[in-house]
Amino acid sequence: MKTAHEIRPGNVIMLDGSPWVVQKTETTRSGRNAAIVKLKLKNVLLDSGTEQTFKGEDKLDDIILERLDCTYSYFADPMYVFMDSEYNQYDVEADNLGDAATYIIDGMEDMCQVTFYEGKAISVELPVHIVREVIYTEPSARGDTSGKVMKPATITGGGTVTVADFVKVGDKIEIDTRTGEFKKRV
Amino acid sequence: MPTNSSCLTQHHWDIFCTVVDNYGDIGVTWRLAKQLVAEYNIPINLWVDDLLSFSHILPKLDINKAQQSFFGVNIFQWNNPLDIEFKSGEVVIEAFACELPSQVKGQIEQLHHHSDTHAPTWLNLEYLSAEDWVDGCHGLPSSQPNGVTKWFYFPGFSAKTGGLICERDLFNQRDEWQADPKHKLALFKQLGLQGINAQDTVISVFSYETEALTALCHLWQASPTPVHALIPKGRSLNSIQSLLPCAIEDLIPGQQFIIGSLTLHILPMTDQNGFDRLLWSCDFNIVRGEDSFLRAQWAAKPFIWHIYPQEDDYHLVKLQAFIQIYCDNLAPEIATTWSEVNLAFNQGNTNAVVMHWQHLLSVNLPLMQHAIKWPINALNDADLASRLVQFVNNS
Repeated sequence: MKTAHEIRPGNVIMLDGSPWVVQKTETTRSGRNAAIVKLKLKNVLLDSGTEQTFKGEDKLDDIILERLDCTYSYFADPMYVFMDSEYNQYDVEADNLGDAATYIIDGMEDMCQVTFYEGKAISVELPVHIVREVIYTEPSARGDTSGKVMKPATITGGGTVTVADFVKVGDKIEIDTRTGEFKKRV
Repeated sequence: MPTNSSCLTQHHWDIFCTVVDNYGDIGVTWRLAKQLVAEYNIPINLWVDDLLSFSHILPKLDINKAQQSFFGVNIFQWNNPLDIEFKSGEVVIEAFACELPSQVKGQIEQLHHHSDTHAPTWLNLEYLSAEDWVDGCHGLPSSQPNGVTKWFYFPGFSAKTGGLICERDLFNQRDEWQADPKHKLALFKQLGLQGINAQDTVISVFSYETEALTALCHLWQASPTPVHALIPKGRSLNSIQSLLPCAIEDLIPGQQFIIGSLTLHILPMTDQNGFDRLLWSCDFNIVRGEDSFLRAQWAAKPFIWHIYPQEDDYHLVKLQAFIQIYCDNLAPEIATTWSEVNLAFNQGNTNAVVMHWQHLLSVNLPLMQHAIKWPINALNDADLASRLVQFVNNS
């Protein structure tokens, strides 16, 4: 079991007796710091989707499926192809990657975990922290170094991350793939 | 074990509330319970874990009674585990993500798994927020490990949310009250507040601790015209202890302290209707939390919202989200002044709050006009109870 707060894209959870792959997670804060977690889910068996909301501390039944360490190889629309250490290739539907697709870039070396359900590759989990380069962001407006003033930044691959105001184009930043949050400049 | 005979109807709703911040959670649930009974004729059982705090806004409540009824609402002492028999009806609401007793969850599950019985709709009534994400989370299901679906219900300001608590006839009552200055003077007299004239500036203060309040009191002290600050015994007074000649615990409701142009009045506690009338009667209201925040908006008067502080200053994000929608139709100068006052108060920025308060005086008239129009915009065609009843009927 994992708390809803710990669930991230690529996990597979059991709801109402069916396995659902988590495509997207959105964590927000309710009153008194309580977390609200919204999950976008796809039913592995029926190919149908849903959105659900949980308290951050709600327990969810994440199923332990067969996983393999793989690296990203190439994109063959609509499939992302991953490869294990023995050069076996596994196709994963783009739709199943959900928000994780934001961080998939050519030549990436991050070790990912491909998850299998009944022999079929159904999702991919990225490392919790990944490093990407900022390819565009507005210059710092106020010279803020506290890290509290935030601004949008485009990273390699085209995704957008909200970063601290002091981050510049060309900086490498660490991102938490569970939440999409900027962690630090590296 | 006493039997809860009054809640054995199949159509009643149960609302569970844990009291965390004295009057906020219970304030909201109590208003909702009363409204559902009065306007929808729905039998309501309100389960509360802290009757003492509840009694401050419902003075007739007997804190030693496990079961009692007011305004048609059955009120139950919620001990965990429940020591009163629970029979679920049509709806079970866990207010503000409180954890339902295991007996209740067990019964919901049992009914859910018996196809010949009707399982109650299970709702989590969440906190009010003006943030965008609320639109996308309101009304979503939440599949629980016991196989039952709980629904997340988010109050809010947009049409895609669960709406805002507002009784059907509230605005008419308010308008009637505000049309005649005699009403407010009679109220002040009834509350034991002396020396307030019809033309004096009267400000109600119901905040958390902040140096910003101390700074404002010093400013009001030097005002060219009389200012009356009405403050109940509670957290606001911690910020102005230095202005008081005695310890806070020795203060008596009705007591007043004259400091230059400022008169500090110690307010007696009042029920919710009394609190509404107080907000209608003041020129400016400083409110906190969720319930009084909304009532200040319904009062159609300018206000400062002292929002519940959260980690990493996240409450400022929530404040900014509200400021953005509240100021949507305001002229930039007025919007800036009003939002800066609110931000400075919440950040405890003494210099800024004083500076912006002085600006506020110059935009008082248009700000007042905006405060009058705002409640209709905020209500967005339907109040929370109406939308909630509709949601339950559709779910």
